[in-house]
Amino acid sequence: MKDKFEKFVQENREEFDVFEPRQELWQQICQQLPPPAAKKEAKVISINFGERASFRADFMFMRVAAAVLLLLGCGLTLLLTKQNTPANAIAATEQVRLNNIAPELAEVEAYYTSQINSKKGQLSAYNLKVLGLDEEHDIEQELARLDRNYAELKKQLYTTPNTDKVMDAMIRNLQLRIMVLNRQLEVLEKIEKLQKTETSEPGQNETQII
Amino acid sequence: METRRYQDVNVQVIDRCKNGDNRAQYELYKLYAKAMFNVSMRITNDYAEAEDVLQEAFISAFKNLHTYKADASFGSWLKKIVVNAAINAIRKKRSELVPMDERLAEDVADEVDEDDNEWKVEQVRYAIQRLPDGYRVVLSLYLLEGFDHAEIGEILGITESTSKSQYSRARKKLVEIMRAPHIVAH
Repeated sequence: MKDKFEKFVQENREEFDVFEPRQELWQQICQQLPPPAAKKEAKVISINFGERASFRADFMFMRVAAAVLLLLGCGLTLLLTKQNTPANAIAATEQVRLNNIAPELAEVEAYYTSQINSKKGQLSAYNLKVLGLDEEHDIEQELARLDRNYAELKKQLYTTPNTDKVMDAMIRNLQLRIMVLNRQLEVLEKIEKLQKTETSEPGQNETQII
Repeated sequence: METRRYQDVNVQVIDRCKNGDNRAQYELYKLYAKAMFNVSMRITNDYAEAEDVLQEAFISAFKNLHTYKADASFGSWLKKIVVNAAINAIRKKRSELVPMDERLAEDVADEVDEDDNEWKVEQVRYAIQRLPDGYRVVLSLYLLEGFDHAEIGEILGITESTSKSQYSRARKKLVEIMRAPHIVAH
């Protein structure tokens, strides 16, 4: 049974804790604590092959060797994957994790990527220098910007609760690229036609210029 | 739910402490230092001594962490260590912690006259600090640290009934102190 006074104390219990130890106290405590469980001393395994040969493997040495091997392996894998990945490709490396977050994304990406690549292939068929086009540079920049934007969105996909919204933005980004490429193709086709007529009917062209 | 998750967090930190992880130790210290320091303060009633006790208690707790079983909350396990260290500290200084004069117990009326409801925390706290050691310890352990009389008896090496009578005497004395003019003005 608690009386009124006890209830009062209980209700205001927090306010009774008014003191605080000095900040430095932890330093003093820390110094007297035993150091973190000391690493076990290097164990030595000795394997005896009969009486003549004895083989000693120092654990420490084994550890270093394992570490070096691991590093080499990592480096090699990294190098190989880097070489295998085309510079401008829409990253396909994280597909596994993405499949959990946005299962439809893989399909969408595959579709648009193939579209974009075919457009790019068509584009590269034109000899831009011959066509006297400077614009190529701008397009590359625009595509690079879209690529950065896309990577950013993809990162968001891992953290955002609203995947649909981000997905929409990503798809729009891909569509935009195709639009940019299409426009460029149209322009190039027009120029090509113009040049063809130019070469076949030079007279007419001259009058046009004049 | 809330307390359960809270404990789970502690369990991880405690496991890291067991491996001697300094950062985990500091985390645990930060979490409990203030509360434990106030426990220590109430028993020792002396800032420097309370710090010594806190230091000793934390070192002992970290060294004996492997004996902590998750069946009780870490806070109450730690509090027991702090209380014991604090009581040892004042025992070293003062000969008799709880006067064993049972005759006094009979003088204490069961009903303590506490008609006014106008208590203020600061005033009560101040009055507790002015209680004699024996009274202050029993009253603090019961009223603020949440031990029952059987536990207090065990901690102090007295009987449960001694703890009870000591507590009611402490209460009476507390009212007296709070009524004193200089406290009222406080």
